[in-house]
Amino acid sequence: MSNPATEKMRRVTGGSFLIEDLAPEDIFTLEDLSDVQRQIERTTIDFAEKQVQPQIAAIEAKDFSVMKGLLRKAGDLGLMAIDVPQEYGGFDMDKVTSALIAEKIAICGSFSVAFSAHVGIGTLPLIWYGTAQQKEKYLARLASGEWVAAYALSEASSGSDAMNIRTRATLSADGKHYVLDGEKMWISNAGIANLFTVFAKIDGEKFAAFLIESGTAGLTVGPEEHKLGIRGSSTCPLILADCHVPKENLLGEAGKGHHIAFNILNVGRYKLGAAAIGGAKYSFRSGVRYARERIAFSKPITSFGLVQQMIADSAAGIFAGESLVYRVIGAIDASLAERDKTAANNTAEIQKHIEEYAVECSILKVWCSEMLERVVDQMLQLHGGYGYVEEYPAERAYRDSRINRIFEGTNEINRLIITGWMMKRAMQGRLALLPAIQRVMDEIMAGPTPREEREGELADQHFLLANAKKLSLFCAGAASQKFGSGLVDEQEIMGALADMIMEVLVLESAILRTEKMQGSSPLAVLMVKCYAARSFRVVETAGERVLGAVAEGDMLRTRMTILRRLTKHEPENTVALGREIATAMTAAGRYTLQI
Amino acid sequence: MRILTLIRQVLDAEETVHIRSGEIDLNGSKLVVDTMDEYGVEQALRIRDSGVDVEVVALAVGPERNQEALRTVLSMGADRAIHVMTELALDPIPLSKVAAQIAQQERIDLIFCGGQQSDWDSHALGAATAERLQLPQVTWVSALEVHGQTLTGRHDVDDGSEMFSVQLPAVITTQQGLGEPRYPTVPNIIRAKKKELRIETLDQFHVDLKLNVLGAAVQAKARLHKILDGKDAPAAAAELVELLRNEARVIP
Repeated sequence: MSNPATEKMRRVTGGSFLIEDLAPEDIFTLEDLSDVQRQIERTTIDFAEKQVQPQIAAIEAKDFSVMKGLLRKAGDLGLMAIDVPQEYGGFDMDKVTSALIAEKIAICGSFSVAFSAHVGIGTLPLIWYGTAQQKEKYLARLASGEWVAAYALSEASSGSDAMNIRTRATLSADGKHYVLDGEKMWISNAGIANLFTVFAKIDGEKFAAFLIESGTAGLTVGPEEHKLGIRGSSTCPLILADCHVPKENLLGEAGKGHHIAFNILNVGRYKLGAAAIGGAKYSFRSGVRYARERIAFSKPITSFGLVQQMIADSAAGIFAGESLVYRVIGAIDASLAERDKTAANNTAEIQKHIEEYAVECSILKVWCSEMLERVVDQMLQLHGGYGYVEEYPAERAYRDSRINRIFEGTNEINRLIITGWMMKRAMQGRLALLPAIQRVMDEIMAGPTPREEREGELADQHFLLANAKKLSLFCAGAASQKFGSGLVDEQEIMGALADMIMEVLVLESAILRTEKMQGSSPLAVLMVKCYAARSFRVVETAGERVLGAVAEGDMLRTRMTILRRLTKHEPENTVALGREIATAMTAAGRYTLQI
Repeated sequence: MRILTLIRQVLDAEETVHIRSGEIDLNGSKLVVDTMDEYGVEQALRIRDSGVDVEVVALAVGPERNQEALRTVLSMGADRAIHVMTELALDPIPLSKVAAQIAQQERIDLIFCGGQQSDWDSHALGAATAERLQLPQVTWVSALEVHGQTLTGRHDVDDGSEMFSVQLPAVITTQQGLGEPRYPTVPNIIRAKKKELRIETLDQFHVDLKLNVLGAAVQAKARLHKILDGKDAPAAAAELVELLRNEARVIP
């Protein structure tokens, strides 16, 4: 089941946002949710606010019986079975729905991580790679929350470089078991899981995944880690010593385990983006509610400009993030709607369609985790001293958000993926990046051109977006001219290019969404203007960084002239915009699109 | 047995009321099924769950957006829904006329209605509907069981409760204390999409609107920002009492 709106939507290829311009009707937005999606969203909100929230203290105190009970309740409501095929008790629904659930459940970091680890990395490998017998045996139990799942890939000496795992598997003499030896680290849900997906190399060579039930002899869960945040979620090492796993529990093909590891990551990344939006909205709500009650100098502090600035900046970030997340996941759904659902290998088709948007998935991961961090930081700040103590939720939100920049691939690894993926696609001729760079170069070399006339309330923002695209292509061209394929080793430049690429996608999503709303939210217009001003500064700064590193002397001066030409614009009055946004948010006491 | 549950869609308790040109503006605000009505739906579903052969029908009278509320109730488990569409704001008396006619058409045995409308606080809809149908009514019900054609239960009074039994058909007004309303689960939400939601027009019910709302205002809460000089404590206390009595008028 999916949203009819996405089925009608134009299909776009991954990464094409940098070289193509879309119209508002080409993108999916939160305003396009179907009735069913809205109702599932509502059920999730009610569950999170009425069931999870009152238990936060018990969750944070690592009372795992509470955590398991809540996971079971979420299972009873059907929230864990969205991606599960119907023949195994699931609903096989669209990805926007599962993203909405991830967003709304994210009011408590610990619970959100346990939930996501279970439905994502815990359950998806089985859905995608399990044999009929394996699914028959485990899937319905996972989908109902009766069993909790965990995923064990990382080791003490291999995190981002997952291919270097040392855990070994050897076929037993009688050929009936694989015998696993090794140690896994930072395994989410380890202390409460009934089923582990464990990665090992068969004979030290063939990368493979195994389904291991808790209680299997030779499998030991180590002590809980003492973490900075998400303290209520279980994170432990896993020790495998002469652990006999039945041969039938090999998941997927021997030697192809890395496909499982990498394909699952794309889903983990876009869902992390959605969860970050939910976390940011929740933090925003408690921050604004605190601020409007807090009196200083006989006035609520929300009447002060610098407090309003934090509120407005956070709100604009959330708005841009929502636009980004649902645009991308909507595009994935539109692509998935085209697949042949009756095909024997339906799950391979699903992965292929998601893999197409790998660069967007990484952008959601990086950008949303950093937006969340900015929001929780500002919300803590406006609490003053109260933000620094455990009495208010701001302190926990601040600690809990930090993990998002680390797991599902660090933001550094993901920045390299973003630029690297675009380069690879360009080299393969699958993305017309090189002709686009050439066009921009030709246009620039032809000298200054008058600004394109454009009608509409967001004409200035469209101008910034168009120039952000040009500048990104120009800088990417300049960098590859200097380093060629050696650019992949210039990580700082790859990172700066990734920043530019990300902002192009975010800004475009926010502008197109606002236009699709056709004036129904004056507040969206204010926020997109506010966000565009900030976004363009990021692009400009990153562009300078790239150019400064790839040229010097006259060449650098010429290029900087071009950069100045592309970045020249009159600033918006972001002070006035910020005040208006903050006033509306303060009155609503939460993030809202309606004044 | 057929049960009718009356549904009203109201502003979520967490939301701020916005007034625009003298009218309450619900645009963009979060609207929900009135909690008391939800208790009625839950009770109807529990009767069905207990094994009694029951059809649960939900009714809402109001603007198009009411269908969201009815969809929610269908997703909770109601069997079908009827929406009498109108942009007019009906007070409980004309509203009861619609409810009574639907109850007759549908041969309803038991009507559930939230005891208190969170947006009008009138307590009148259940009583008026019962009066029009000449049915017994029990208010403030906090426990309920069905035995054939008899209902038994508890009716709350100020400092305690009374037990009652009543013959069907009857009207019951609900309140907190009955079973906690269930969440619509994902499978029920999917199933609800296929359930019948019948749309009717208001004119066939011949309601006569005698009460008109002329305007609305939100109570303004202004802070006086008055700071008393506390150096002389007894004098400050006396001044405070004086202000509370004569200016704020909160003590006699």
